Parts: sequence; structure tokens; C-alpha cells
Amino acid sequence: MDYYLFAARSVTHAQRMARLLSDAGISSKIRRAGAAVTERGCGYTLEIPRRHASRAMQACRVSGVLPVKVLLVSDDRMQEVAL
Amino acid sequence: MIYLDSAATTFQKPAAVQRAVVQAMRTMSSPGRGGYAAAQQADELLFRCRSAVAELFSVPSGEQVVFTMNATHGLNIAIKSLVRPGGRVVVSGYEHNAVTRPLHALGAEVIVAAAPLFSPQETLAAFERALAHEPDAVICTHVSNVFGDILPIERIAQLCRGANVPLIIDASQSAGSLPLDFSTLAPAFLAMPGHKGLYGPQGTGLLLCGSDALPLIEGGTGSESLCQSMPDFLPDRLEAGTHNVPGIAGLEAGIAFVRAQRPERILHHSRALIRRAGEGLSKIPNVHGYLSPDAALQAGVLSFTVDGLSPEEAAEALAARGIALRAGLHCAPFAHKTAGTLPDGTVRLSVSAFHRESEIDSFLSSLRVIAAGQAKN
Repeated sequence: MDYYLFAARSVTHAQRMARLLSDAGISSKIRRAGAAVTERGCGYTLEIPRRHASRAMQACRVSGVLPVKVLLVSDDRMQEVAL
Repeated sequence: MIYLDSAATTFQKPAAVQRAVVQAMRTMSSPGRGGYAAAQQADELLFRCRSAVAELFSVPSGEQVVFTMNATHGLNIAIKSLVRPGGRVVVSGYEHNAVTRPLHALGAEVIVAAAPLFSPQETLAAFERALAHEPDAVICTHVSNVFGDILPIERIAQLCRGANVPLIIDASQSAGSLPLDFSTLAPAFLAMPGHKGLYGPQGTGLLLCGSDALPLIEGGTGSESLCQSMPDFLPDRLEAGTHNVPGIAGLEAGIAFVRAQRPERILHHSRALIRRAGEGLSKIPNVHGYLSPDAALQAGVLSFTVDGLSPEEAAEALAARGIALRAGLHCAPFAHKTAGTLPDGTVRLSVSAFHRESEIDSFLSSLRVIAAGQAKN
């Protein structure tokens, strides 16, 4: 199944994004991320269903709490994308 | 024991604090390190606690809330982030060694904005004069840990903003009982213990950050592990190593207690007890209390001396009667110098939300006997 990963700089940053998305009615899941995602070693991401991705990004923009980057995971392939 | 040393630590804690500590030890592992349930529970605890702190003190973001070991730890981070070796700093006349020793270690030029006890206008005038020396930073305690004197921190913060000088606030004796609005005060840093007016366990503290900060220690953060530099973002930048998870769980429960009780109610209760103690002291011959003529200028701390007894002797005599207070300089020689109570210092009584009038009355009865015995000698 396709989904998006919103990369966070820290677990606290991921938690802030998760909370604001929850407040906007969007469920997400905080996941650990490795160097393949962060390029800087251990980190955290939010997994967001594809159908909610645009709305989630909009909620992040409105609150000023933006992901470090956004990745689309599709058929075991991962690529950085702009939303 | 009648414990009257809450300015050192609030010994009586809400029952929920102990329960939270035990629960965390049973169920939580290291936060920010793992994706399994025990690590996630710790993650969630830290986030909840940061959020509760941010709400209580009007901090824009939980990421600006940094967990420390105590207020001293937070003050060291703040001071060493803002003050360069040999730099110039303005402090109040009531600072603790948690402020003055780091400044001494930095070889800073310290300008003391000294003013008599319980005199906010003179305090402001002293700060105004001191700011003309163009310091690198101003450091000010909100409440004197020796005398309970409430400094006019809102006005001092306003002066600092006007002069564009960063302000560090030591809220060791005010957090949890006096209003502290981080967004309005806009300090560079605000440091506080978790184990005093927030009723958390010892070994907990908070640093609220409004400015760039330098790490006091470096190490693992669970983030950006490939980089050898510390992360450049908060809170990770200042939180190397494993957190005090049981302590933070207790702190969260303590903060919930404060929010339920309401800080203004705790302050009202503490003030009433301090007035009762101070007025009682004034009726005992040979005893001298430092009670503010204006109740609004004093928090839950009161100092006194007994003629013919050193503070240590007076506290020892009270301890023999089951009453626990602290004597001496209270790690605040600057405060005693300003108030004229050097070299011996004072005996200090300090209260919390858990104290009762009957405990103050028992203290006064005991002191009356001790002072009368001294008068006979």
C-alpha cells in the first residue's frame, strides 16, 4: 500500500506534527527512521495514508510545523517528493 | 517532623507523584531510542510533560521545553550560552550561587543591581542604572530563596527588552505559585527546578528556551546519529544521554497537581501561612523576622534570627523539637550581603501547598520556648 513519510528532525518534532494532524482529524503513526530516510542517522517519521497527504501538508503549513522532507513509499520504493 | 524547608525541596508530594514514578519504572524504557511499546510510552510521557509545561508557562512550543537535572543545571546552560569569558553581566542583589558561581568561573564582570528588601521601585531603578553599562546579559531571580522577596520581573523584563539585552530568569522559588508567562516576558532563558513548586521528584528541572543555546554536555540524542556535532535543534541539542524518565513521570503528575490546585491558590495559601508565621515571630522577644510590610511582595519564604543564637544553633534547637528548617547562608551570599545579614545568615522557614496553620503554630510555640530560654541566659 502506498503511503507518505513526513520526516522529522526529532521525536519531539514528530510528536508535534502528529498532534497537530490529529487536531485536524488526520491519523498518523510515528515510526523510527534510519539513515536511508534521514541521511543523518537515526530519526523519526510520520506515516500518513496517501489519501490524507495533501491535507496533512496543508495542516503543517498552517501551523508552521513543517516536515524536514516528504517521501512517497510505493511498492517498496521510496522517493522524495514535493507536496 | 514538621517540615518547613520547602524552598530547598517540597518534601511532601502528591500521592500521584510517587505512583507515576513507580509506574514509569515498571513500564517505560529509554525515550527517543526505540520503536517498541516501552520506548514509545516513554516518548509519549516526555511529550505530554513538555506540552503541560508549555501550557502552564505559555511557551509557544514544547520543543522549547528542555528537561534538566535541576535549576542549577538549566542556569549553567543559559549562562554559558550567553556570557563569554570575561563578559559583563547584571544580576539582582539576591542571586543564588547557581548563578554567581558559573559567572565567577567565566571570569565575568558582575554588576549587582542591589536594592533593599521588598522595594520594587528601588530595584527597578537599580536595574535601569546597571543597564547603562551595556551588559551581555541580565540574570535575575524572580523570588529570593532567602527572604521570599518577589522581584518585579515583568518590569525588569520590559527594561531588558527595551535595552535589547537578553534576560535569564531564575524561577526556582516562583514556578508553580507565581504567574510566569514566557511569551510575555520573552526572556532568553527561564530556569526552574521540578522538585520545588512543581512537586516533582528531586533530580528534575526545566529550562525554557527563547534563544540559541550551547550544549553543556555532548552525547547521544537518538537523532542525527551520523553527525558528530550535537543537533542544532531543541530539545535534542540540550538533552544528551538517557532522560530521567521516572523523574519526569513524577514531574508530570506534580504539574497536574499544580494545575488542579491553581498556582494563585497555592500562593494565597502560602502567603497566609507566612503572614501568620511573621506576625507570630514579631510577638516573640529577641526574635527578628523579615516580613514584608506589603504581603503582595513576599512569597512562601520567611527568614528570621534569634538574639544570642547563631542561625545554626537556633535551627538545631528547633530540629531537636522535630521542626525542620534551614540555617546559614542558603547558598546565597549575595542575598545576605544585600540584606545585611552576613556573615552568619538567617534561619529560613518555607512552606508549600501541604502545610497547615497548626504546623506554623507548633513552630511558633517551640521557638517561643527556645527564645525564652535564651533570654534567661
